[in-house]
Amino acid sequence: MDSPALEENLDAVKFDLKKTIDELQEFYFLSANGLLGAIRRPFYYHDFIDQMDYAGAGSLLIVCLVSLFIGMALSLQLAAELSVMGLKMYTGKVVGISIIREIGPVAAALVYAGRVGAGMASELGLMVLGHQVDSLRVFGVDPVKKLVTPRILSSIIMLPALTLVGDAIALLGAYYIAVFVSHQSGYVYWTSIRYELTFENVFSGAFKPLVFGFIISAISCYMGLSTRGGAVGLRHSTTTAVVLSIVMIIVADFVLTRILLYVLGFSV
Amino acid sequence: MILFENVTFGYGPKPVLQDASLSIGSDERVAILGGSGEGKTTILRLMLGLIRPDSGRISIEGDDITGKDEDDLREIRRKFSIVFQEGALFDSLNVKENVAFCLREFTDMSEGEIDAKVRELLKVVGVAHAIDLMPDELSGGMHRRVAIARSLAAFEPKMFLYDEATTGLDPINADRICQLINELCKAGTGLIIVTHKVVDAFKVAKRFLFLQNGRIIFDGDMPGLLQSENPHIGEFLNEFRFKVD
Repeated sequence: MDSPALEENLDAVKFDLKKTIDELQEFYFLSANGLLGAIRRPFYYHDFIDQMDYAGAGSLLIVCLVSLFIGMALSLQLAAELSVMGLKMYTGKVVGISIIREIGPVAAALVYAGRVGAGMASELGLMVLGHQVDSLRVFGVDPVKKLVTPRILSSIIMLPALTLVGDAIALLGAYYIAVFVSHQSGYVYWTSIRYELTFENVFSGAFKPLVFGFIISAISCYMGLSTRGGAVGLRHSTTTAVVLSIVMIIVADFVLTRILLYVLGFSV
Repeated sequence: MILFENVTFGYGPKPVLQDASLSIGSDERVAILGGSGEGKTTILRLMLGLIRPDSGRISIEGDDITGKDEDDLREIRRKFSIVFQEGALFDSLNVKENVAFCLREFTDMSEGEIDAKVRELLKVVGVAHAIDLMPDELSGGMHRRVAIARSLAAFEPKMFLYDEATTGLDPINADRICQLINELCKAGTGLIIVTHKVVDAFKVAKRFLFLQNGRIIFDGDMPGLLQSENPHIGEFLNEFRFKVD
């Protein structure tokens, strides 16, 4: 390769690298400022309540539906496998641990990313493209406090709440399969579930969605606010917000599981 | 009031605005003309500190805004009243709430006072009947009028900025918006209008800047613009000449 072409390529790589570093820096600033907005005035109560309604109440039905079928499917699989080994009575225990600690938080977060994360990114993206965010800045309103803080706060409150409801529905679904399809004792099922409702398990299952809520809302707000280039740009930022959120949920789930197991004293 | 010194800006590696220098007084009526993507709106966004130049210096009333943060820029921005392209109304709020937005944010006015002020402003711009409508229920012309009312509610501006205020409107509505712009500037407040509609620019402005490929290729009055020998400007003025004929 001749030297001018090489130089040109190097310049392009430098430009891309600088852009990536700038974007990462912007993302961290936006996330931190969005979170800190909760303790800085002014606080936009109405926007916060609106977001709680949209993210929480609006997602309840779909989270319940998904959780119900996940619980039933899991119970079916486990009952089939455990009955081969003559351990059918452990279905409740294994279902309980799986749902409370792992599947419930992740499933609710994935549904939340698909519904609320995509909604946040597209709404903010449209506001950027329609100069509504510029209007806020010109009027002297901080878009981070007005738009990002209510979304982050509502997410870190509503996703744990949705997860708890989703867990309960999943356990009910699993109960239906265990008792009415696999013909197990309902008393044994609920006793083993109650046995798994320890502080460690419940804390583990409630802490993860809090972090997931922050990750989804921060990524979605960032992608929405960095939308450029019309309808195609909006499509790109919405898709990226959902895909990145899903990947980060899975990665964060592994990291959190490792940390929580260590902190809560489980041996691996 | 506004001073650009050798300002260059680009959204990527390719500059949108190149080495632009200009000075605009607070009582001037300026139109920035040029085709799509020539950097007209970029000039307005740079003036308000919504984007930062890659190089060069921008001053507002002698105050260099180039390195200022968002908190400092808020004070600078209050000197202007801007109407963005297509109005940029908040689409989750109705007309009343859009116009009342800044009154609620920055004043201690009671609900009654806010209501009275909103009705008064909507009457000034001629859309009092649309007070309860949502932005998507408004026509293009009404959209711009509400946006103007909202910008008036904000602060006492030293200068009005209009970004493509008449674009997409039929000639009657565009003419009404031009009349409104002229009425609002009667008190001697200056204005900058960014547009590619030469006819509308001639109705409201006295000084004209023409942009091509991110460079200011003309800065002068209407006779000067009409007599320009630049072929690109000549082509651009064809619409106006056709209307005069």
